[in-house]
Amino acid sequence: MKHAVLFIVIMLIAAFFAGCTQPAQAPAQPKEIKIGAIVSMTGPNSNIGKNMWQSATLATEEINANGGIFVKQYNAKIPIKLVQGDDESTREGGQKAVTKLITDDKVDILVGGYASGVTSAYEQTIAEFKVPYVVTGASSPIITHRTDIDTSYVFHHCPTTDAYGMYTTNFINQVIRPAVNKKFNFPADRPFRLALLYQDTGFGQGVKTAVNDTITKNNLNIQLVSQQSFKMGESDFRTALTTIKAANPDAVYLAAAPNEGAQIIPQARRDVGLNTIFLSVENNDAPEYYKGIGQYGDYSILESRFSPYISPKGVLEEPQNAFKNKYFAKWGAYPDMMGASTYEGTYIAAKAIENAGTLNKADTRQALSVLKMPEIIEHMKDDTISFSKDYRECQFDLWMEQLYYNATIGETRPTIVWPDIIKTTDFALPDWYKPGSA
Amino acid sequence: MYDLGILLQIIFWGLYAGCIYILLATGLNLIFGVMKIVNFAHGEFLMIGAYITATVFLITGFNPYVLILVSMLALIGIGAVVERLCFRPILGTSKLNEIFLSIGLIYIFTNGAAMIWGDEWQSIKSPYSGITVPIGSLNVPLDYIIIIITTAAILCGLYLFLRKTKTGLEMRATSQNRKGAMLVGINVERMDILSFGIGCALAAAAGTLWVVSGQVFNPYMGSIPAVKAFAIIILGGLGSIPGAIIGGLIYGIAENGAAYFLGGVWKDAISFIILIIVLVLRPTGLFGESGE
Repeated sequence: MKHAVLFIVIMLIAAFFAGCTQPAQAPAQPKEIKIGAIVSMTGPNSNIGKNMWQSATLATEEINANGGIFVKQYNAKIPIKLVQGDDESTREGGQKAVTKLITDDKVDILVGGYASGVTSAYEQTIAEFKVPYVVTGASSPIITHRTDIDTSYVFHHCPTTDAYGMYTTNFINQVIRPAVNKKFNFPADRPFRLALLYQDTGFGQGVKTAVNDTITKNNLNIQLVSQQSFKMGESDFRTALTTIKAANPDAVYLAAAPNEGAQIIPQARRDVGLNTIFLSVENNDAPEYYKGIGQYGDYSILESRFSPYISPKGVLEEPQNAFKNKYFAKWGAYPDMMGASTYEGTYIAAKAIENAGTLNKADTRQALSVLKMPEIIEHMKDDTISFSKDYRECQFDLWMEQLYYNATIGETRPTIVWPDIIKTTDFALPDWYKPGSA
Repeated sequence: MYDLGILLQIIFWGLYAGCIYILLATGLNLIFGVMKIVNFAHGEFLMIGAYITATVFLITGFNPYVLILVSMLALIGIGAVVERLCFRPILGTSKLNEIFLSIGLIYIFTNGAAMIWGDEWQSIKSPYSGITVPIGSLNVPLDYIIIIITTAAILCGLYLFLRKTKTGLEMRATSQNRKGAMLVGINVERMDILSFGIGCALAAAAGTLWVVSGQVFNPYMGSIPAVKAFAIIILGGLGSIPGAIIGGLIYGIAENGAAYFLGGVWKDAISFIILIIVLVLRPTGLFGESGE
């Protein structure tokens, strides 16, 4: 009996200590990591929105083909579930989509966002719920510069309007101005006559500000002879173009969406007889733009960071072509630059979670803020994707294309004319070009 | 101070824009005149007309100006069905019913078009794109001359139909006094369906001219022109077809004039400023009669 009691006591003590040394229960491993894609699947921006969604889908499939994202906390790879949030191309739609993604779908991170007006409208919700967000389509710097709300969870992987205006204005000064002076025997100190036609939104006004600032800051010999605005979604630009024609510009810079730019150039050349060089912002480098401008886009200039129809020679030529081919094989069309940055944005989101080693949103935000990963398909400053310390912006390398009409396909196709290191042809002025006059 | 050539050109762009507005507003006014209903979905008939013309053009390659007839005929049929199934059951009930019904139709037509044709913006090219005609100091695209002539021809046709045919006279009689028309044996329900169909056909004509001018179109294109068409018929006078024509011209020219003198952001605002001024001075509109 005495031995039996002693045995029971020893067993109880052993059981007690065994219980104390039992390892703590690890948190349950989630079946999937949810990435919310905020895209315009309906409404006027649906062309671009679908491109962004399809690119994010492609990136997700590629990551999942390798097992998903490795999360140290679970010591396992977890597949991604891409969840769609259609902003309907409107501020209200964006607010609804983001709220649903965060509160119903409980996404771990967000990517996407197109149109600065739409994106900035739901940033308050992002700030409130503190969900990391990689913006891949809205170009206004206000997205991360605004101070009325906390934007610390928002990371901008898309060139801003500051970059658009700066690159194009420098190209005009370095390439077009000397070419016009040379062809028409103008004195070298003749001011270049530039006209602006811009969308009256944060995007268009941002480009306008950047052009003015670049001219002033660098004391460039460029004179802005006309600055005309139009409302977003406008389809008849003839009066604005007639006004610009009356100002006798040497070139016209358009800060417009692809559906607008594709109408402006034909209306300018066909209807108004404005035979000049048109320069468009990089968001126009999309298949629909080429289709819309038709033969009237001959000799026009397009700023770019990713083109469906040309890849700059170098280390990214093969990855770019691989992305385009995979996209075409899956979706039957070519991606545009918003698709390219969203494809990258999905990889950036995945890398941030991997680096964080957890699905904790604050940790993911921190991982984004110190992220350094090799460029994927778009050319980045220092060949690295990283976000600036001040406004969490990625720095892209842009180039300029000149479009030439191909009668066989009935559309223009690009050549790269700037910078010199990657150019495929020199910039050329067409025979029909008419310089402006004071 | 201002270059006369530029002003003439801007007036010409205004005439072109006015043509689209006139056709849309005239159709809306015809429907309102006969049925006294408010149809906010009228812009969607413009959109459907645009898609029908573009689709048949891309399939057959026929001249898109000829296809205006196909589009108009198709919209007469669609309009008749919509009138019979949607508006007739609520005719004479609360105005709120009409408003919410037509708002519902906007979503149905927009989403339906997006399902059938996709919601990406599209455009087609007229066979005359690139041809310009010198008129005085202007170099006018041939397409816009054809658009203005086509609009004038359609309006003349409508005028003759309303003035010279028995059905047209019955439609006008219904518009002027529905009960009186019934008492003299006019089948007012037939007039309803006919006026709704013709109104939709005029919207289809506007949609066709929109696409042949090279402007892009998508399922969401109808909302802004519809709002302007409403403003035009209020400006011109509810139920007055001459009012719709004059109102459309005023809007087209005023919009383009405002864009030139004040800047592009004033383009839409100026139309409503004119509307407010006219309504303050003449609450029944330019050609409206009191009581309408």
